[in-house]
Amino acid sequence: MRILIRAIAVACVLMVQVAPSVAQTQPRQQEVFTPIDQLPPQEQLPAAPLLVGAYAFVLLMLFGYLVMVSRRLTAIRTEVDRLDADVKRSGKG
Amino acid sequence: MPKWFQPTTLLCGALFAISPFVIANAPYESTMGLVQKVFYYHMPSAWVFLTASVICGIASARFLATGNLRHDRTALAAAEMVVLFGLLTLVTGPLWARKAWGTWWVWDARITSSLVGWMIGWAYLILRQYGGPGSEKLSAGLALFGMANVPFIYVSVNYWRTIHPATTVVPKLPFSMGFPLLFCLASFFLLMFLLMSLRMRVAEQQARLDAIYLSLDERA
Repeated sequence: MRILIRAIAVACVLMVQVAPSVAQTQPRQQEVFTPIDQLPPQEQLPAAPLLVGAYAFVLLMLFGYLVMVSRRLTAIRTEVDRLDADVKRSGKG
Repeated sequence: MPKWFQPTTLLCGALFAISPFVIANAPYESTMGLVQKVFYYHMPSAWVFLTASVICGIASARFLATGNLRHDRTALAAAEMVVLFGLLTLVTGPLWARKAWGTWWVWDARITSSLVGWMIGWAYLILRQYGGPGSEKLSAGLALFGMANVPFIYVSVNYWRTIHPATTVVPKLPFSMGFPLLFCLASFFLLMFLLMSLRMRVAEQQARLDAIYLSLDERA
């Protein structure tokens, strides 16, 4: 009997220790229903424009870089061709 | 361009065309919802940014050790990848954070060190462009600092207080989210490889052109 009382006492002490942390982890009870237009602006922010903006930015930047490098390559090739033609012309002259 | 370039470009284009459908099929994350899908382009951009920093550092070290200009051209191409993909990372991150965290920017260790890494990439390119003769060796030294910053960027979320997700998130992704991520990673790494090849080709042609001008000057 004494052992049982001791076990119950230990269990009670442990429950007292654990109870606050359990209470903290439980979600708070909802007291009112809030319409979405009354939320703070940060929480009303739609996700789709941000998502589309991120993807569009990535694709535009990649495309822009590709065009820039291709133009650089074309310009160098044109210059090499022009030099080749000049060298040939001066060789004939 | 080499024979493999065109089919690889087509493959990369196909991967990017398919990627929105793969991403659309991924499930919504429970707390962030739709905006979390920025992750599938944000994280591959960040990984390419970090990989390019490492490539730039290794190529610069090899250039400093051997003086081989091929390594210098690799480092230059990689530095442009650092700037390009760093920009993508630093822009897509805030677009995600605005909704998920309620703020565009936080000066935490990862974001700040990423910004520093990106600015080192810019410094490398500016030094190459305006540094005059010998600037390639100075910029190679700078690239070593850029590479040294990479492990710091990666582990920073585990050691400093931040709202950035920890590095354990990716290994623990379920298949439904892990597959789109791997798909996008493959697309971005293939794109980096192609863009670097193209940029190195430009540098080679520029070197050839400079050599022609030099020989013409010597003849005159």
